[in-house]
Amino acid sequence: MSETDPVDLDKTTLRRLEQFRDRWTSDDTDSGLLEISDRLTADEMRKFEIFSEYDDNFLEKISPDVSLATWSEGAVLFEEGTYIDLAFLVVEGEVELYLTGVEGAVASRRPIFDLSRTVIGDPADTPTATEPGTALMRRATRVAPTRITLLATMDFDLPRGAAVRLGAGEILGEIGSMSGWPQSVTARTVTECRLLQLRAPALRLMKRKSKALKQRLDTLYRERSLATQLKSTPVFAACNDIFVEALKEKVELVSCDPGEEVVRAGEEADAFYVVRSGFLKLTQSVGEGEIVVSYLSKGMSLGEVELLIDEVGNWQVGATSVEFAELVKVPKDVFEQLIGNYPKIEEQLWRSAADRVREAGFSRRNIAHAEFTEVALETGLVQGNSILAIDLTACTRCDDCVRACAATHSGRSRFVREGSKIENLLIAKSCYHCRDPVCLVGCPTGAIHRAGVGDVVAVDEEICIGCSNCGRNCPYDAIVMHEAGEVWPQDMVPQGLRGKDRLVASKCDLCCDTGHGPACVSNCPQGCAYRVGSLEEFQGLLEARA
Amino acid sequence: MRSWFYAFVSAAAVALAALTANLVWSELRPENVWGLVYGSVAAALLVAASALGVRRRTMKASSRLGAGRTRAWLDFHIYGSLLFLLLLLMHSGFSVPTGRITWWLWALSLWTVATGLVGRLLQKWLPRVLASGLATEVLYERIPELVEEIGSRAKTVAESSDEAVRALYDRMLAPALGRPRRRWIYFVDVTGGIQSRLKEFGYLRALLPDEEKTRLDELERLFRAKLEIDAHYTLQQPLRWWLYSHLPASFVVLALLVLHLYTVLFY
Repeated sequence: MSETDPVDLDKTTLRRLEQFRDRWTSDDTDSGLLEISDRLTADEMRKFEIFSEYDDNFLEKISPDVSLATWSEGAVLFEEGTYIDLAFLVVEGEVELYLTGVEGAVASRRPIFDLSRTVIGDPADTPTATEPGTALMRRATRVAPTRITLLATMDFDLPRGAAVRLGAGEILGEIGSMSGWPQSVTARTVTECRLLQLRAPALRLMKRKSKALKQRLDTLYRERSLATQLKSTPVFAACNDIFVEALKEKVELVSCDPGEEVVRAGEEADAFYVVRSGFLKLTQSVGEGEIVVSYLSKGMSLGEVELLIDEVGNWQVGATSVEFAELVKVPKDVFEQLIGNYPKIEEQLWRSAADRVREAGFSRRNIAHAEFTEVALETGLVQGNSILAIDLTACTRCDDCVRACAATHSGRSRFVREGSKIENLLIAKSCYHCRDPVCLVGCPTGAIHRAGVGDVVAVDEEICIGCSNCGRNCPYDAIVMHEAGEVWPQDMVPQGLRGKDRLVASKCDLCCDTGHGPACVSNCPQGCAYRVGSLEEFQGLLEARA
Repeated sequence: MRSWFYAFVSAAAVALAALTANLVWSELRPENVWGLVYGSVAAALLVAASALGVRRRTMKASSRLGAGRTRAWLDFHIYGSLLFLLLLLMHSGFSVPTGRITWWLWALSLWTVATGLVGRLLQKWLPRVLASGLATEVLYERIPELVEEIGSRAKTVAESSDEAVRALYDRMLAPALGRPRRRWIYFVDVTGGIQSRLKEFGYLRALLPDEEKTRLDELERLFRAKLEIDAHYTLQQPLRWWLYSHLPASFVVLALLVLHLYTVLFY
């Protein structure tokens, strides 16, 4: 560890040191964190096995996002349901991971996914269909908390109330930090611990550069989480542990880029898919064109119709990834084994298949419905946790919403009262606080992050270097760069920034650190600005304002 | 909104009941106890209703202090002002005051409430008109900039076109694209009779080769966008300008109220 006398350092270096410390310690001064290292040198980092295969330049590059910390006994590293952008490697000591024993803890946590799209009802709990296809837009209000599908949020395969201990050399928190999802467990130190702390940008770069690390993390994921994830889906919930253990070795984990075709209509159906994260758009040909018949989100499956009905065999729909998506691919033979062993699952899948066919038929007969689904996918409505919608039939264009935003954020508004229109609702160019926030991917400093518990995506201006990656990644033009009014110092890393005007990413943070709700909504004199949290809410608003 | 309305109706009913009792037991005069109560409540309502302006100018502090939604303040502003008017009339005995200050106070109060109601009607009507037939949504402040951009793009397209398209541009488009225009027709038909204005494009299109058709289509698209922007320019303006008839008068009313109270209390 570098022990430097502060007196010997120039002003800029001191400031950078301060920034580095601030990055690691600003969250809580009373957290049990006893000591935190200064920025580690490449040699210091290489003493840890996890860094052994990287060169000096690479280690220098990631060093701002790596620290070595000492935590006191009994310190809580993170809690179930919180967002962190850190993974911890245990160097010395023991860390205990556990799920809160109280069922209500899960029930009270606000789900960050679309309930109505992540649950397939079992025979006893199937909502009675009102009109074919309307299930697509109906919020599943009767869903019990235990039915929530927590795909991609599980770091550990733990029963409620149980705990597991991790010792030297083991890593924790990596799935949550990489995916931007809340932690599924609480982590507490059992003894005084020395932990290597890796922030998501460093971990992402390390994983990309090293196949061995990627394999290690994937293996950890299969070992720790996949079984629970599979068991938490409606399809595999009824399977016994032995079957799921065997299954997790046979399934393939598939990552899709935006717009990637997953299956093509008419081709032979060779697998069953379960969506881990992201969205799939399902399309069918109508005449010479194509309509969107439905979409799949986390926890939903594809392939029931094709694999269950012998005469079908080929994909009846095309499936395309809307944004980045993660899927579990179950080969056809494994799927057949599954339904052979579990007739109840087959029964449930038949029901799901019937729903899918009905939904497709409804969309084909109601083009407006198909168009709305497509627009919802294109404009990202399905993604949003908090979309700013303005009712144009009531909006007097007074811009008080914009002024309120500016007043709350040092004179600079975080959104523009422009955007796409759906009927009489304007979708303002303001952060959607997406379920899968792609803006988080590629931030070199981790400045853009999930701000604590909840769905808020915020920018830490102190560590934003103005690279614009988040702005470029955001599909909804909701992040803009503005000048911070200062120039980067001459010893700035990366060197390309030296002497340049400092830019900072600016986006809606739902006024999360102000102690009140979004100012744009509360300051609208006509009451026509709304924050919409799901497609169903949006459709409800459309109907109410029609 | 509805609860404010019911509160207003209830308060108005109480005021009218008081008025009835007043007429039974006493005279309707500003200087007796009844009249002073009406005047005091009216003054309090006027001050409270005008707090909307403070709420809108202190957004940050109001949000932090949990001052509630501006929508609720606006509702109170509207219904409180109506109640103020009723009590003002009761205070003045439903007759025009004879004193100079009181006459101005009375007249400007009526004017302020009346312009407020006109503004409210505009706020209810014009957004519906704007939302009913326009595909674009523009910020009022950006209109001149957008019109300039459309004009220069149209000019570029016209310059690269053949004679027939250029002639159409010179005759019909160039004068229309020069600057934002207000047209009364938008109050009646938000599309501004766009279909009839686009007929010429249709006639010309039939005579043009494919390449020129593409240019004509682009000009038509720009012309359409400009007409929609003109509609916004025309209809958004009254939403801003009515305040000039309301706000200055309301400030004068507040000042005259202070003067009126001073004269009543100290003379």
